[in-house]
Amino acid sequence: MTPKTEKRTRTGIFALLAVIGPGVIAASAGNDSGGISTYSVAGAKYGYTMLWMMLAMTPSFVIVQEMAGRMGAVTGKGFAALIRERFGVRPTFLAMLMLLASNAATTIAEFAGIAAAMELFGVSRYISVPIAAIVVWLLVVRGSYRNVEKVLLALSLVFISYIVAAFLAKPDWGVVATSFVVPKIIPTQAFIALAIGLTGTTIAPWMQFLVQSNIVDKGTTVKEWALARWDVIVGAIAANVIACFIIITTATVLHPAGIEVTGAGQAASALAPLAGRYAEALFAIGLLSASVLAAAVLPLTASYAICEAFGWESGLDRSWSEAPLFNGLYTFVILSGAAVILIPGLNLIAIMLVSQVVNGMLLPFLLIFMMIIVNDRKIMGRHVNGRINNVLSWTTIVVVITLTVLLLGMTLLGIG
Amino acid sequence: MFYLTRMLGKPVVDAAGETIGAISDVAIATREVFPRVTSLAFLGPEKTPFMLSWRKFVAEIDDEQVTLNVTRDALRFSYLQPDEILLHRDLLNQQIVDTQGMKVVRVNDLKISESRHQLRLLGAEVGTRGILRGLHPTVERMAERIAKIFGAELSETIIAWNYMDLLDRDLSHVQLSVTHKRLHELHPADIADVLEQLSPAQRAKVFEHLDNTQAADTISELEDAFQADVIDDLGSQRASDILEIMDPDDAADVIGDLPYDKAEALLRLMGVEESSAIRGLLGYREKTAGGIMTPEVTTVTEEMTVQQVIEHLRGEAAENESIYYIYVTDSDSRLEGVISLRDLVVSEPGTLIADIVTKDVITADVEDDQEDVAEMMSKYDLLAMPVVDETGKLLGIVTVDDALDVLEEESAEDLELATGHRSRAGITGIWRWVSRNGWLVVWLLLALVVAATIPALLALLLAATIVLRIAEDVASHALSRVIEEEDEGEITPLWRRITGDALAGSGLGLLVGMVTGAIVWLAQGTETFAFQAGGDSAVVRMEVAVAVGLVYALSVLSVSLAGTMVARIAEGVASRGRRVSGTAITVILMIAGAVAFTGFTYLALAFVAAQGIFG
Repeated sequence: MTPKTEKRTRTGIFALLAVIGPGVIAASAGNDSGGISTYSVAGAKYGYTMLWMMLAMTPSFVIVQEMAGRMGAVTGKGFAALIRERFGVRPTFLAMLMLLASNAATTIAEFAGIAAAMELFGVSRYISVPIAAIVVWLLVVRGSYRNVEKVLLALSLVFISYIVAAFLAKPDWGVVATSFVVPKIIPTQAFIALAIGLTGTTIAPWMQFLVQSNIVDKGTTVKEWALARWDVIVGAIAANVIACFIIITTATVLHPAGIEVTGAGQAASALAPLAGRYAEALFAIGLLSASVLAAAVLPLTASYAICEAFGWESGLDRSWSEAPLFNGLYTFVILSGAAVILIPGLNLIAIMLVSQVVNGMLLPFLLIFMMIIVNDRKIMGRHVNGRINNVLSWTTIVVVITLTVLLLGMTLLGIG
Repeated sequence: MFYLTRMLGKPVVDAAGETIGAISDVAIATREVFPRVTSLAFLGPEKTPFMLSWRKFVAEIDDEQVTLNVTRDALRFSYLQPDEILLHRDLLNQQIVDTQGMKVVRVNDLKISESRHQLRLLGAEVGTRGILRGLHPTVERMAERIAKIFGAELSETIIAWNYMDLLDRDLSHVQLSVTHKRLHELHPADIADVLEQLSPAQRAKVFEHLDNTQAADTISELEDAFQADVIDDLGSQRASDILEIMDPDDAADVIGDLPYDKAEALLRLMGVEESSAIRGLLGYREKTAGGIMTPEVTTVTEEMTVQQVIEHLRGEAAENESIYYIYVTDSDSRLEGVISLRDLVVSEPGTLIADIVTKDVITADVEDDQEDVAEMMSKYDLLAMPVVDETGKLLGIVTVDDALDVLEEESAEDLELATGHRSRAGITGIWRWVSRNGWLVVWLLLALVVAATIPALLALLLAATIVLRIAEDVASHALSRVIEEEDEGEITPLWRRITGDALAGSGLGLLVGMVTGAIVWLAQGTETFAFQAGGDSAVVRMEVAVAVGLVYALSVLSVSLAGTMVARIAEGVASRGRRVSGTAITVILMIAGAVAFTGFTYLALAFVAAQGIFG
């Protein structure tokens, strides 16, 4: 055996496969209960009207995810650490408060998703949610969610069936295509709130933290980033394609029939063209696995980020006495998320929607932090943003803030 | 007492009482234990940065401002010296390593004391109190008052400069006091503890400062989960150099966890002797005596004298991991007896080994469970235990440090399973597999519930994941075999391999098949089951259950046989000096698994249809 230097670099599909992972995982986790419900409601209530927003949002989503990943690859640090090192304690406190709010709201939505899915199987939420809370907590504490992750991800892929369902529902593709390119706004509070929610669920703030920390944990270097960015980009686009098909399916099946999505049952019935009487089961399985996965990942993301920002000890191998704040944070988010769902008489779909609106309202502020960091040459060197990135990101920030102000104004003045 | 966060932004006033800027940073001299503040940095009009010598120009500092001793025109500005560091830029809000507490912490504030017009850095505040002060001094005061009500004190956590190592700024080119403790000067076990708290990028930076011996010791001390990651991130040449220095058993553990391509590349870069020692060890199963032993054993023969043995120890055996016991073997390297270092030292140089050898040796079989080995060593107070094969041939020794690791690992595992109330004696191979692959079992059950409630074809797609997952396992197994076989050139005959794997494969397949079959059989009794059999007869139920079980069993068997074939082909490719792609093997086996599963399912469906069960 003769020692030889490694001259051959891997090329082609295998090289791409080697780096694929974090982005795709983060983006598919984005199609969680909040996402499914928001897209279903959008399609059922407004038909194809909102499709143009999805098209407009896709570049922003791709760019935001790419920026987060690039920051991770260049600096080797998480988003929270960068915020702290660039801005100091006070702005960090604000940012972490926003992250925690976004995370907690979404976790509540995940438990709402679990409750809704189990109710489709005929299990009361007062039984399913406490059990789910314990299971999720154990998955996190034992660190075993990494093992189950693949399984849950595979199961949540049943949402790909929306693509098939959309074709089986035979929409008028001409109308669909027009809706993608012709912007249309209905000046009501409900529409604007839904538009904010649509943004919040598509470009969810916690996803940037997640994708960046995944890149950091994988030890992706700047050199590898040239390839790894495609993982992030492909993941983002794939997630949005599925989102569009959910809207198309619900718009074709539910909207003409005048069915409003007020419960998981109506949302599930959109899959009837594909799965017939098994539509509910199919929908419930997808919803359940996506929700459980996200309910485990979200609190942990928040816990890691906050501890990273404030220098508190973190890690699943640390005991309660070693890392009280780390363990306390995710436990608090999980338990309080589950507890909210146990309040009697809650409309689960409404909860999921509201959480996404919260996400949408917080998004621009966290994006501002990101924009300042990603354009700082001291931090990013020559990997600062290009002009297109800056223009698109600032547009997103301005548009979402405008929508939020519009919504607040309309609510206060009682318009719409 | 001053805090940096309170100083920043305060006005800088010249001798004439005119404000010329706002404090932006202060620099310290790095060589002292409590470093002097040497320079003041401030932002002048239009945010222009300035820096001046503290000793020459600062007259006074108080809570409100810094007063200079000359007017603006008389100021001479200076530059940051190479041995100065800036408190705000380099320390505040940054992560540092506390080399006394072996922790990675974030600096929330810097505490500075004043004595005779001289400011000195007392240390970095890393506790929650610093965060509260950073939010607002009022918040800090309120928290203090609340703490007092509960009888507690809001204490500061201060780390002296002496015990700081910076992560983002390299201190190598800065002069430090002799007592200053940096990370790479710690004991390897402590370095390992700190490394586990860092991100991969930060870890790589620390490794740049470690020499190969230190790096090897540190990697040996890391938790298993980090070892492969760290090696994977190092350059190939350096990684293989480090692995060569490590004890072969530790190195084999690390290499066993690496992706195949990387492992093979590293083994090829190593010296022939080291790489074949490691390849030899890779062949033993994990968690057995063979898996934790080192092949570095000191052996002698009965005819040698004490003098000769001691010379042998000084010479070629000096590098061995453990020399407390010297093993006596015959010409076929079968273990005959043992002598201790003590026996050697107290005997006359001319004594024959045959006269002092202890023939009654406690040995472990290479297939023994590692936990049993460790317990025996603890029972007999052994520093090392010889490992032999079925013919009595000495293969290696398990040293006491590895035995301690095993005991620690197993007690942690037992703690986890304590609620499960598991009796240790009765764990057979299958249960071992189940306990290691618990998630697979859960997934199996879950997938079947799914399969039971939704249409057959969809269920097919979902359930195939199990077979894919097994294929992944088989692939990694096959790959480790390629690595180990490639060394010797003596390849096990194919037919023996196939029969061996067929046996293992059908065992696993039978298990999976029986579980799935049983569940399907039970599930058919319930109302919600989608495969409602035409009749209620037990025979029909049994037939469906057997069909499903067979599909699983046959798929698993096919995958493991495919694994054998692929491994064999890969060995052929590798023996001709060409590189084998690990990804390709995994993908091939996964495809084989998917094809087998789909094929068998269609056969089963055809069979069921032919029986007219779904009539």
